[in-house]
Amino acid sequence: MKRTLQSLFALLFSLAAWNLEAQVVQGSITDKSGEPLPGASVVVLGQSGIGTSTDFDGNYTLSGFQAGKVTLEFSFIGYQTKKMEVQIAAGAKQILNVALDESSSQLDEIVVVGYGVQRRREMTGNVVKLNAKELNDMPAPSFETAMQGKAAGVQIVTGSGLAGSPSVVRVRGIASIGAGGDPLYIVDGVQLNQDYFARGNSGGMNQNPLAFLNPDDIESVEILKDASATAIYGSRGANGVILITTKRGSKGGLQFNFATTQGISQPTRLPDMLNADQYLQLYREAWINDGNTGTPVLPNNVMSWDDAQRQETDWVDEVTRTGYKAFYDFGVSKGTDKYNFYAGISYDQNQSYIVGDEYNRMSGRFNGDYRFNDKLSLSASTSLTQSIYNRVDNAWAGGLGAAMSTALPFYPIKWDRYRITDAGDTLSRPGDWFTGGTNPVMQRENKDWRITDLRAVNNLKLTYSPFKNFTVLASGSMDYFQSMEDIYEVNLNQNDAVLGRGRAQRYPLRSYNYNGFLTGNYDWKMNDNSKFSFMAGTEYQTNYTRSYQITTRDSLGNANGVRNDVLDAPGAFYAHSDLRDNYEFDSVNTSFISRFLSFFGRVNYNYKGKYLAQVVLRSDGSSRFGPNNRFGYFPSASVGWIISDEDWMRENRFFNYLKLKSSIGWIGNANLTNIEFEARYRRDAAAYDGRDILYPLNAANRDLRWETTQVFDFGLEYGLFEDRITGEIAYYRKNTSDVLLNVTLPRVTGFGSYYDNVGGLLNEGVEFQIKSRNLVGDFRWTTDFNIAYNYNEILSLGGYSPDAVAGGTNDTRTVVGAPVGTNFLVRFSHVDPATGRPVYLDIDGNPTFSWDPADRVPVGSVLPDAVGGITNTFSYKQWDLSFLLVFTIGGDIYDSSSKRQLGRMDDWNKTAHIFDRWRAPGDEALYPLLTLDERNHGSTTPWINTDLWLHDGSYMRLRNLTLSYRLNRNQAKSLGLKGAQISFIGTNLLTFTRYPGLDPEIARDFENATDRNMSVNITYLTPPQERTYSVRLNVNF
Amino acid sequence: MLISKPVIMKKSFSAIALIGGLLLSTGCEKILETPLQGADLSEADALQSKQDVLDLLQSCYDVTANVYNGRIQYLGELLSDNLTEPTINEDLTEVYNHNTLFFNGTIGGIYGDPYITAFRSNRILEVIDDFDFSVVEKAEISAQVKFLRAISQWEILKLFAQPFGFTANNSHDGIIYRTATIAEVVPRDPVGANYADIISDLEAALPDLQVSSDFYASQDAANAFLAKIYFQAGNYAKAVEHADAVINSGRYSLGTSVDRFENDTVDVTEAIFSNTSRPDFGDFRSGGFGNYRSDVPNPPLFKASMDFYNTYSADTSDLRLKSFFELDESGDVPVVLIKKFNQEWFNVTILHLTDLKLLRAEALAESGGDLSVAIQDVNDVRERAYGGTQNNLSTSAAANEIIEAARYERRIEMFGEGDRIQQIKRRGAIEGEAMQVRGNDWDCNGMIIQFPISEKTDKFQLNPTGGC
Repeated sequence: MKRTLQSLFALLFSLAAWNLEAQVVQGSITDKSGEPLPGASVVVLGQSGIGTSTDFDGNYTLSGFQAGKVTLEFSFIGYQTKKMEVQIAAGAKQILNVALDESSSQLDEIVVVGYGVQRRREMTGNVVKLNAKELNDMPAPSFETAMQGKAAGVQIVTGSGLAGSPSVVRVRGIASIGAGGDPLYIVDGVQLNQDYFARGNSGGMNQNPLAFLNPDDIESVEILKDASATAIYGSRGANGVILITTKRGSKGGLQFNFATTQGISQPTRLPDMLNADQYLQLYREAWINDGNTGTPVLPNNVMSWDDAQRQETDWVDEVTRTGYKAFYDFGVSKGTDKYNFYAGISYDQNQSYIVGDEYNRMSGRFNGDYRFNDKLSLSASTSLTQSIYNRVDNAWAGGLGAAMSTALPFYPIKWDRYRITDAGDTLSRPGDWFTGGTNPVMQRENKDWRITDLRAVNNLKLTYSPFKNFTVLASGSMDYFQSMEDIYEVNLNQNDAVLGRGRAQRYPLRSYNYNGFLTGNYDWKMNDNSKFSFMAGTEYQTNYTRSYQITTRDSLGNANGVRNDVLDAPGAFYAHSDLRDNYEFDSVNTSFISRFLSFFGRVNYNYKGKYLAQVVLRSDGSSRFGPNNRFGYFPSASVGWIISDEDWMRENRFFNYLKLKSSIGWIGNANLTNIEFEARYRRDAAAYDGRDILYPLNAANRDLRWETTQVFDFGLEYGLFEDRITGEIAYYRKNTSDVLLNVTLPRVTGFGSYYDNVGGLLNEGVEFQIKSRNLVGDFRWTTDFNIAYNYNEILSLGGYSPDAVAGGTNDTRTVVGAPVGTNFLVRFSHVDPATGRPVYLDIDGNPTFSWDPADRVPVGSVLPDAVGGITNTFSYKQWDLSFLLVFTIGGDIYDSSSKRQLGRMDDWNKTAHIFDRWRAPGDEALYPLLTLDERNHGSTTPWINTDLWLHDGSYMRLRNLTLSYRLNRNQAKSLGLKGAQISFIGTNLLTFTRYPGLDPEIARDFENATDRNMSVNITYLTPPQERTYSVRLNVNF
Repeated sequence: MLISKPVIMKKSFSAIALIGGLLLSTGCEKILETPLQGADLSEADALQSKQDVLDLLQSCYDVTANVYNGRIQYLGELLSDNLTEPTINEDLTEVYNHNTLFFNGTIGGIYGDPYITAFRSNRILEVIDDFDFSVVEKAEISAQVKFLRAISQWEILKLFAQPFGFTANNSHDGIIYRTATIAEVVPRDPVGANYADIISDLEAALPDLQVSSDFYASQDAANAFLAKIYFQAGNYAKAVEHADAVINSGRYSLGTSVDRFENDTVDVTEAIFSNTSRPDFGDFRSGGFGNYRSDVPNPPLFKASMDFYNTYSADTSDLRLKSFFELDESGDVPVVLIKKFNQEWFNVTILHLTDLKLLRAEALAESGGDLSVAIQDVNDVRERAYGGTQNNLSTSAAANEIIEAARYERRIEMFGEGDRIQQIKRRGAIEGEAMQVRGNDWDCNGMIIQFPISEKTDKFQLNPTGGC
């Protein structure tokens, strides 16, 4: 009925306005290559209210305007607005196809900010926006990997070559030591639970908590960097905020998209390890150097010298392969005035080059919006991801790490003969695994290790606008994570009665993350010159994680303990329903709970469209903070001035856009471990002399609180020559106080370590970003370059020593006056040509043969001086070629494995670098004489840290090379498609570096947050990055 | 009903304010309080009753038992001339080589435990008034924790600082002596102050302790420790005074067995204070002595030095040598295997009559005391060791003979108990003798153990590096 009435009115109106409606302009709006631009707008200038927008195919029909000479304006976000004059007679119909040029300024683009959106032009904050195209231009198991080199001031260190390893993301340096230094990730308004240590550090890797996101689901990523942008996130904004917006349906009919990527994975570089002959030769040399005679005795006396000479295994070859990658994504979307939706499913099979290492992810997403009326609308976003990660031990735990260390080249994988003792006992038979030393193949083949994760991120938003310019938004979300880690290890004891069976372990984990917020927005136009925008809100978040165990019972059925394993099992839990049926994980342990309660507000002021100001205040309370500091307050203020809008600037021929902006704010970091402020006790029954004991576990710190970073930012946005050149320059100074330290306490306190807010840190830097459209026309060439310089310094440590900060593997230290992650080492000077002994420098710089840790000094830092990237894109007709070079300038790499791969001869294999060793008096060599006795290297400990293992970490790498061919409209149409593109993609194809190790881009496995902050660029048998070759097909229909 | 926009706006903001206000008024603090997880208790929940305080006190004994489970003793033995270089353990080899580094994890672990006892003891003293203990109960608990914190830190002082007498006024660096739980950064106290604090705590504890106890603090144990401390400080008269209090009590006798490392089924009649293993609870407290064991398949970490063995080997009637040591000449180089600790578990005798008798004998001889008592003390020990009087001192033995005899007996009697190095240092520092261990002077840098790096602060200076 309503529709009938609407039609009737429309008919009547159209009859009355016949004269206005008769003339029509039709056509399409495309980009320069002919690709349609759905949603582009066409308006008739001077005729208020007359306009339309293109459909999914880029077509438009414009009518209802007055005949005669009219000026049409064609515009689309990301493209230069074009005006065209048309002379059209009354009742005439005219075809007008328009191709828009890309705009690099994107001044009018809408940018997602905390609890809202802003037009870039009106923003006072520093926000980098990356769109879907930039995030999908390379195959990546997790979206953050694809951000590398594309955002100034955002350092991405890709995880190791293992498929499920996480990247380290740092926004404008590192401002934390003991608290998590990673940015806050928010997906469609849901603050993610991002625990890098949910599975600890197992198998030489931390598991990536962000890998559940399908990169093809992402519409855009906004990286909030300065106080103006991040203050709205208060105690969690200091490390930067990354806002992820997933795809939603756009206006138009049903649209289908299918994408697939097929590719292969190889290591960027493989280690050059000694073969058996080489190893034995060097071992004998060490044996003789030590004054021994006769046949050498091998390490651990694992086998005879003769046996060793008969065998050869290339362990690196045994544990590596060419990995295969396959990705499929299918999406459907639709939009009307009333509703829109996007639904997608994807499957990603991601094999790394490590045999047995494979991360597979299946995900589904549904995003929808429904407008009940002009005032009320509902939005839902939901995603469900299941991943199965087939794991193998690596790094220090096995795999390639073992091949680079304790898997000696004369160890066999399996015995090829009988071995009988003098007493007639059979030691081994042909085909038996070699168990006398490290055997990564046996370890892999007899260990079934699978982590099955399920993650659902769900959000519901209700938007109510009771009157114009006022909106209330209520949001509720749940981020649910379930993880099952299954390990099954076969019993290899030949004499055991349960041969062929084994130990099945299961470690279930669930985490629940509930978040709700309520905001009110009001836009108030005070007069023609002054506009205000107010936002106020409150938010509550609770997060808890539970682990589960099997309750064990005595013969009477009374509970007497818990366990996670079943001995004598036929296989892994995931593969055997009888195991799952018989063993109930009924004992629940909640490992932590954290809660946040927040109140926040933001006021924006815009005067004449060119003078901008913003004030933000947030108050956060958290269960993580000590009772003496439950709530923190985080304000910021910022201003902006669009100079190019001043009358006196309008006539200049160079700058078409120039904006100055500055902000200051006090932002927090609340990435603390939960409940550390509380003095905790534990009771043990019958612990000493049959009596109970009660004892404290930790030193309390009731004052424990967030870290506070004072951020000052000064920036300049510019556009030159009608946006042929655009970019941004920024200076920032981040002064962090109350830096949380996980302090190794003096033992006189009675405790090992505790958390204390005692440090001070400085990050100061300059960012420069420029985008230049070098060539326009049929052949187009665009260059996007960014570089960010950052200076980092520890200002204070509250009197604690450089060794007081416990950073897990502790390969780096904190030194006042030096950066976070300082290499604090004894200096190696040279090898004495006369004796072959290493010469060190004592603390005063005098040469000495003795290695003493008291002689350690700051000799380097893992933090780079500058990072950046340069993307060049060439387009000609339907062809695109782009390549991304990323670079790191400065910063040191500490190759911790070298102290054993190139140090004393022991039960580690050596790399070929060791050939440059001292052998006879007079030799000038890089490495000292070979020895089995560390005292010949001036030490009473066998493996010693010196700056001999410290290397320049600078590198430049061809991160991504993509060649694409896109069907034009006619070609696509002939195939029944709306569009199609095929791309050939190579990643990490070339690396330029002086680092002699495997790969200069290193994010090793970490023990804890401190380690993650301090030990990037430290490698300890870390698998190198992967090089991939892929083909991607993208089809729209 | 038509509502104006400002009214709606006002209402909506009011709603937000109301929700916020509700959250605030319902107690933000309460919302943010989260319960402790698992078996953990807050201090308020943990310490609710008198029994809880006693359980906390018991945890001090638990830690002390671990300190004395052989670890603190073998650090001393490694510094001395009683052992050969340990095999396969780099941390302990550093101790043997008189060049310990501040990254030595084994040392760090041993060093930390006494301070755990000190913290818990001090915490008890801080909270004890909150509980309804009687005056007597409170006094005894306070005495026990003072006893425990004193003996724990005394053990650290002996190993990590140069001995009493190293400087004329004992102003050289000692340790931090903890008498409160405050974790402020402070410098090391002088050794003289450490001795004064330790003696003060023990003397304060003395009157309120039970008279004697096998495994818990007692007057006898406090007196025995005081005797040892005064002896180490060269105050022989006070040493004799406190030794007399125990020896003359008649509660202890040497017995017939030279073995005082027995499990709890054997009554070690000379034991004044021990830790206890309880196999019925799966609780064994002699683990550190396992490194000496020569009756297990793996070769022992510790073997006796030939210097030690040769000192005693001429006397074939010595039951101690016969029972506790064995010369193994099967390899290229002869080694002296140790049998003294060849048991799965035992109660570790920490204070015993033999020690006090030899101490008293030497102290009396050094201070011009009653030599007949001194001679009898030595002879009591000798008669047990040789099964007769054949090696007894004559009743007219001179002071220097008594001293020599007491020292001779002391070394073999207390082998493995960490005593030998303290005697070397005392003789060097107090008596001015030119004592050496493997060519290193008693007072060289490496003769004291380096602190863990964790101790280094702006105010706390580590020991000199570089060893001897």
